Amino acid sequence: MIINKLKLLLLIFLFSIIAHSQTDWVRWEKSDPDYKIPSETIKRQYDLSIQSIGDVVLKPVINAYWFFISDVDGDNCPFYPSCSSFLFTSIKQTNIFQGTLMFFDRFTRDTNIFERSSHYPFYGKHHFYDPVYLYTLDEDLIKIIPAGTQVKKIK
Amino acid sequence: MISVNRKIFVILIVLSGYCSAQNSLKDQFDFAKSLFDQEKYFDAITEFKRLLFFDKENLYGFDANLMIGLSYKAGAKYNDALKYFSLSEMHTKNDEQFFNASILSARTNILRRTTLQSEKILNSLLANSKYDNRKKEIKYWLGWNYIFSNQWEEASEIFSEENLDTTLADICKSVVDDLYNENFAKYSSYIFPGFGQFYTGEYLNGLISLGWNVLFGYLTINSFAEERVFDGIMIANFLWLRFYGGNTRNAEKFAKEKNLIVTNNALDWLQYNFKGSKP
Amino acid sequence: MKIFIIQIIISTVVLAQSVDFNSPENIKLFADYLFCDHDYLRAIDEYEKYLNFFDNDTIRFKIALAFSLMDEHTNALKNFNKLSEASQLYQLSQIEELKSFFKLKLFPQLSSKVSEIHNLKSEYSLSADKILSISYLLNNYSIPAEKLFLAPFNDQEKPIVQNFYLRKTNPDYKSEILAGVYSAIIPGLGKIYTENYSDGITAFLITGIFSYLAYTNFEHRHLTRAWIFTVAGAGFYAGNIYGSVASAQIFNVKINFDFINDVNSFIEAKNYFIPEYDFCK
Repeated sequence: MIINKLKLLLLIFLFSIIAHSQTDWVRWEKSDPDYKIPSETIKRQYDLSIQSIGDVVLKPVINAYWFFISDVDGDNCPFYPSCSSFLFTSIKQTNIFQGTLMFFDRFTRDTNIFERSSHYPFYGKHHFYDPVYLYTLDEDLIKIIPAGTQVKKIK
Repeated sequence: MISVNRKIFVILIVLSGYCSAQNSLKDQFDFAKSLFDQEKYFDAITEFKRLLFFDKENLYGFDANLMIGLSYKAGAKYNDALKYFSLSEMHTKNDEQFFNASILSARTNILRRTTLQSEKILNSLLANSKYDNRKKEIKYWLGWNYIFSNQWEEASEIFSEENLDTTLADICKSVVDDLYNENFAKYSSYIFPGFGQFYTGEYLNGLISLGWNVLFGYLTINSFAEERVFDGIMIANFLWLRFYGGNTRNAEKFAKEKNLIVTNNALDWLQYNFKGSKP
Repeated sequence: MKIFIIQIIISTVVLAQSVDFNSPENIKLFADYLFCDHDYLRAIDEYEKYLNFFDNDTIRFKIALAFSLMDEHTNALKNFNKLSEASQLYQLSQIEELKSFFKLKLFPQLSSKVSEIHNLKSEYSLSADKILSISYLLNNYSIPAEKLFLAPFNDQEKPIVQNFYLRKTNPDYKSEILAGVYSAIIPGLGKIYTENYSDGITAFLITGIFSYLAYTNFEHRHLTRAWIFTVAGAGFYAGNIYGSVASAQIFNVKINFDFINDVNSFIEAKNYFIPEYDFCK
């Protein structure tokens, strides 16, 4: 019984470190538990809507690439967003010329298998986070997330 | 005569004073409990804490801590809930109270998905001869623990024992039947590209995968046959192997995804449609 | 009659044992307990209940402090402001206000508060000067001369703060243009310059391999392949120049990010130069 109590005291000590009163620093309400297990899969966002002239060429090519190649050759890209999504977003956010340069640079980084965990934050369990906004050359868009930080919430 | 009367009166007054002190604690407990019943959990915790603060003799050490734990549990704040269930365990006055607090700890751990801890708690209760007459209840929660640790087969078995809960046993059994074999999906695709995809119902993907593998396999062999070794190595390495490896990884991924859908459907049903006790 | 009086006295004494949870004294006791248990939001609620009975500057201060400890600085400022000048805790509240201004990055307000503290001839004037100096590290106002900047700090603090001063005035930035030029001369060199060593080596290898493949294919008159490799090689070459410029830019933003973090950790560790006091001892 004494051992039990000691164990309990140790447990409480540990809990008091983990669960400080910070829980109650904001008023909270009843919250139902979620039995379901969150999915780790990154769902492909197929989208053929045409919003600009560039989309007429770009979107069918990108979507076809996703459907016939990217979704079939397995998850080869260590990064989130994947290289094809990176190319697509880069071109959308800048222009075809700059977007292509950004893609070549990304592809080089993709090939480099060293120093990844000391360079990039994590996105989920299996990917590194390497967003487009870091490379558009607009300094105001750059937000530093320290390497090793988990960007996507894992339950 | 008068002096005897006086003594009795003094005793009565003292007793009534003591009782009134107890009564005020009881009133405070009832007040806090009423907030709990109205689902005002944050305020309920304040009032239970107030009770504990003024309850110098720890008369409510068990009940108030347990209620605080339950309040946190209702707010899905499981770490805090567990802390207070442990505190209530420290103030138990009998085996029954200890049992209740332990079961609540186990149920909270189940919800927190720290199922190894809940399993440990439940197994230690099961091993305790004091709780021999509560074995059914303990096993019931062990079954839920298996559900939350994704061990549906074990869950199905334990719920079937002595007809513990036939509804839950059936649900778990149907999950076991519906689950895809992840290894089979993967290794069948090693032998026949696209097979694992067909097995998991991803026919189109399987077909495209098969197509690429046949094409690049053919081109590789053809290159070597025509003694174009460099081309052969390039096609094999950058194209065939890429699609062959991707094919096996995809087959396994599809099986895992489909299994997640199966288990999540079951968990969703259990959460919203199952009428019995839940963690 | 005697018996009756005794009965009344005894019953009063005994009844006092029953707890009046809502008496001001008990509300305060409970609030203090919550405060010291870091349960600040509940403590604030209880202190506010107490203030309905009695006006009390210490309680007002504790409410403000509780907000500050929860990092709710707008609310903290509102409550520190309610303290009367006659209060014993007034001077302390002024320096706590400085902390909140610092946390909220309200630098103009911080600066005028420092002047107010000086006017008060407060015992915390030196601490206020220290906070003001540190605030120059994090805002874009022109920073005072080094001697003036370092003046409030003691010998132990000076080397650290001096280092911050140098990092602020001469940050270790990498030139974006230079990174681009380096990579134009030798592929990957710009990345190495921005300390992304393995990326630099990879860029060098990839560009090299594609150039070699293009060259040999031209040599062997495999023109289609040669042009494919040329385009790919050129893409990697140009992409690397672009990437090196981007890499230098990210490097510089990171320099700022680390600097801000280091300064914040320092002032946090020094508890904003506020002398130690504890309501829970």
